[in-house]
Amino acid sequence: MTMFKYYEEMQEEGVILYFNGPVSQSVVESIAELMRSKMRAEEAGMGSVQRVFAVLVEQMQNIVRYSSDRQIDNPNQVGEMAHGQVVVGREEDGRFFVACGNKINAQDSGELSGQIELLQTMNREELKLYYKERRKAPESASSKGAGLGFVEMARKASQPLAYDIVPVDGSTSFFSMKVVTQ
Amino acid sequence: MTKYNVQATSSSPYIHFDPDRMSFEIKGESYPENCWAFYAPIFKWFDEFFGQINGDLVEIDMEIIYFNSSSSKTFMDFFEMLDDQAERGKNIIVNWRYHEENESAMECGEEFMEDVESIKFNLVEFTDQGVA
Repeated sequence: MTMFKYYEEMQEEGVILYFNGPVSQSVVESIAELMRSKMRAEEAGMGSVQRVFAVLVEQMQNIVRYSSDRQIDNPNQVGEMAHGQVVVGREEDGRFFVACGNKINAQDSGELSGQIELLQTMNREELKLYYKERRKAPESASSKGAGLGFVEMARKASQPLAYDIVPVDGSTSFFSMKVVTQ
Repeated sequence: MTKYNVQATSSSPYIHFDPDRMSFEIKGESYPENCWAFYAPIFKWFDEFFGQINGDLVEIDMEIIYFNSSSSKTFMDFFEMLDDQAERGKNIIVNWRYHEENESAMECGEEFMEDVESIKFNLVEFTDQGVA
């Protein structure tokens, strides 16, 4: 077997970082910190480093919280761990993108796509007002603070959030999202 | 009233509240796994603290390099709690400190400032040499 084919394919696609596996808080910290150092070393502007860092953290923490593919009831485990994918790369025009993929409960698909589609219709000023409104609203018991994370990502993006949800089986769907940062 | 002291980690800030010296500081990164669990004790601490003081000036220094959306929500809750206390007569200042190159921290500070009412909210820019 050879990994070369994947290596070359990723390079052609502008991929800088690709991760597929169990994500925990410590993985979030390591990968986010790694990308920050790498971008700083390459002298990317501070603004673009911060936007990539922020989107990466939001996406990976969403995986930790919401991916339906997880180990449950492991008494030795500190914190949560769930399976997902994350990709950081550059578009042909040089803008950075951050993409993620993970399984979700099929029954959550409707609410998730509703949320993202609402954000897709908003301009910068509307996103700001919506962000502030959501931030002041009392938290609903079921939410661990999601909603606001998507608004945050939409505000860091240079174009509407792109997403996709495909059914895997009756109870599971696969969620993908791509954010092209400013 | 005892001090409240927490060391920084890569995803959570250094917190130091010293009621004897009237010094209150939160400094570092903020994207812990469970944001509410991390910050809940400071709400409890301040609740007790405000019960014990009157008109003394409470000046809180916050210097956050990056914070995630859950922290943003929690900070807003924190400022609203401080706003409530200020409405009841407490004298409260928040100094939102950011490095001159950290544009994102500056913008976030401005947005918090727009959303608070009764506390004094200062934006404090500093450089590698100190406060500008």
